[in-house]
Amino acid sequence: MATRSVEVVYRGIFQRTMARNIVRNIVFAARKDGKIGTAFGRYSDSPERNGIPAKQFAVVADTALELEESLAVYEASNVDVTINVDDAMCKGIESWAWYGLQPINELTRSGGTLIVTSRQDADSLLEDIHQKDAPYNLSIIPSTVSFSGLWVYKDDHTDMRVLGALCKACPELVSINAMLESIKEQTGSETKVASVQRAFDRFTSRLVEPGEGNTETPFSFDMPGWKTMEEGVVIRGLPEGGGFRGGEEGYQPGRSEVFKKWSTRSMRPVINFDTCIKCTLCWLQCPDESFDITPDGLYDANMESCCGCGVCEAVCPVPDCVTMVGEPEFNDNNSQWDAWTADKDTYNKWMTVLVDKAKSETRSHGFHHIGGYDEEIKAEEA
Amino acid sequence: MATVQDLPQIRGVKSIPVEEFYSSGHRTCQGCESALVMRLMIKAAGQRTIVLGSTGCMYVANTTYYSTPWVVPWMHTQLGSAGSAATGTAAGLSAMMRKGKMQNEPINVIAFCGDGGGVDMGLSALSAALQHEEYNLLIVCYDNESYANTDIQASGSTPWGANTTFSPVGKDIHIMNNRWKKNMTPMMAVGHPNMKYVATACASYGLDFNNKIRRALTAGGPTFIHCIDPCPKGWDYDPKYSHELGMLSIETGLWIQYEIIEGELQLNGPSRAIAKGIRKRKPVEEYLLRQGRFAHFTPQDLKVFQDKVDEQWEKWWIPGLVPITPQPDEDEADEEQ
Repeated sequence: MATRSVEVVYRGIFQRTMARNIVRNIVFAARKDGKIGTAFGRYSDSPERNGIPAKQFAVVADTALELEESLAVYEASNVDVTINVDDAMCKGIESWAWYGLQPINELTRSGGTLIVTSRQDADSLLEDIHQKDAPYNLSIIPSTVSFSGLWVYKDDHTDMRVLGALCKACPELVSINAMLESIKEQTGSETKVASVQRAFDRFTSRLVEPGEGNTETPFSFDMPGWKTMEEGVVIRGLPEGGGFRGGEEGYQPGRSEVFKKWSTRSMRPVINFDTCIKCTLCWLQCPDESFDITPDGLYDANMESCCGCGVCEAVCPVPDCVTMVGEPEFNDNNSQWDAWTADKDTYNKWMTVLVDKAKSETRSHGFHHIGGYDEEIKAEEA
Repeated sequence: MATVQDLPQIRGVKSIPVEEFYSSGHRTCQGCESALVMRLMIKAAGQRTIVLGSTGCMYVANTTYYSTPWVVPWMHTQLGSAGSAATGTAAGLSAMMRKGKMQNEPINVIAFCGDGGGVDMGLSALSAALQHEEYNLLIVCYDNESYANTDIQASGSTPWGANTTFSPVGKDIHIMNNRWKKNMTPMMAVGHPNMKYVATACASYGLDFNNKIRRALTAGGPTFIHCIDPCPKGWDYDPKYSHELGMLSIETGLWIQYEIIEGELQLNGPSRAIAKGIRKRKPVEEYLLRQGRFAHFTPQDLKVFQDKVDEQWEKWWIPGLVPITPQPDEDEADEEQ
């Protein structure tokens, strides 16, 4: 007699199909074990937005009565396994209707497992993952983060690998034999079955001790209750902007005190201030008002606002002046302009390393052209 | 409000106002072009502006749970009522000023609606608002070609063949949206001949967009701007291409940039160059093949689409605007005989 649950934390829209494949296949496979289950998305995540973290759950129980009992909750208070399909979310997640930063392992129960798809090792992931007061296991599926879109799915078997690893991490949830049988039945694909088996065989995990991990306190604030809201549910407007850092020159917009985009992006722009020609395009075309205008007329991307779309990189006319770099490379949200003005040589060296690394990495953010995903999958396999 | 604000045309990108009145705190998608429309719209309009927004992405994603990205006053209105809210607000301001309850000054009133709220549901309210010549107001329709907020249902503005949750691609029948995009802007222009300013726009052309907003706000009376907004979620593309796809929609001749100032039509930007024959239209497949919503298109579908675009440029009485053709003179000659 037991209920087991799993959450899949994913990037809205980009990984929605993958998350759905994972939770549904858990439920289908659990049926083969004679259990009963259900798969659902968190209500507050709908409608999803591109790149904004969201969750789907799978709950499996021995009996229908037990399952019903666990369905009366809106979001599970703890899960046996947390699956994170974008390692950039190890820094925590801020879904679009959620205020403050929720650590990625917040729901992972004591002794549970956190599975992450990543090219990083455990130590570098633990620089980002917030510490917990109970032990849990960390398992990494070595994989490039897989993004696609609403209509066309990049079928690179990431979902299958996750399912294989999951069967090893929590056999009480679903057995590997049931999973293999179910995947064969659902997809009719032997290669998918093989992917599940391979991930099961190659599963490794490492115990994370209490207190191990990122020691920062996650960003939070008090939400107004319905009694503390103003008459007519009036919301105070944002403050007006002004000079850069309160000075006379430059410009900095007023920004929301409560909603920060710390975790909405999976990449961020890195700027070569020396080659910038001050053409204004990054600033003008940014949908997120991210660029502060510095006193010297340069544009400094503010990490409170940036959601990492990459439009600035796309519109910049100067080669390598704006480069989108994967979010896991950063451990803070500090101003790049500050770093550059403090010590140009050090900044430029740091920047060059990151830019070169970004060029050698393939981190795709969705549909580019018809047939593009097939090319990417072939390149990854090679 | 007899007078309008002094909002001079902006000469170059360096002269675009730096002040932001739509700032952080919105949870729009990565690469959301509609958020850029909001930002540039209010940047051009300035602080003495009231913005009204009907339901859609720019309401739901912007103002969830007790927060806002707006610096200026903003009010939500129901899905089909951008027009009514604009008229009511303009009339209210006018009455308050007449009665001396408010300082008499020109205040911009802008109401925005998506294609769902404007092209579909709010059409009659928009039409009513555009008839009230005594009120200065601007309606901005941000058109991302679907009900994007509620996960991409087809609207009257969705192009032919696009994949949406209302027109999913099937194995046997792969074109499920058989409707062509509604010809919204000319409908507004032709139907309300006393309107002093109607324009199409695209935020990829930031300066042009700013200036169109300013021209609309200073024209006097009700005005209408319809802008195309690439939507990375519903069109299914890498968000970094938002700007590029906006430009491609114009360069392929699918979206036509123009202004109708007191009844006079002026094409502008690449559309003008295309019309004058200075520039060739890019093949429409350059635009279509970049989007997941058209990933099921066969070469034949691409041809159907291209033919339709060719038709609107080559066969229509006024290219891109009016598909009505006057009867040939021969008939008149026949009757006389």
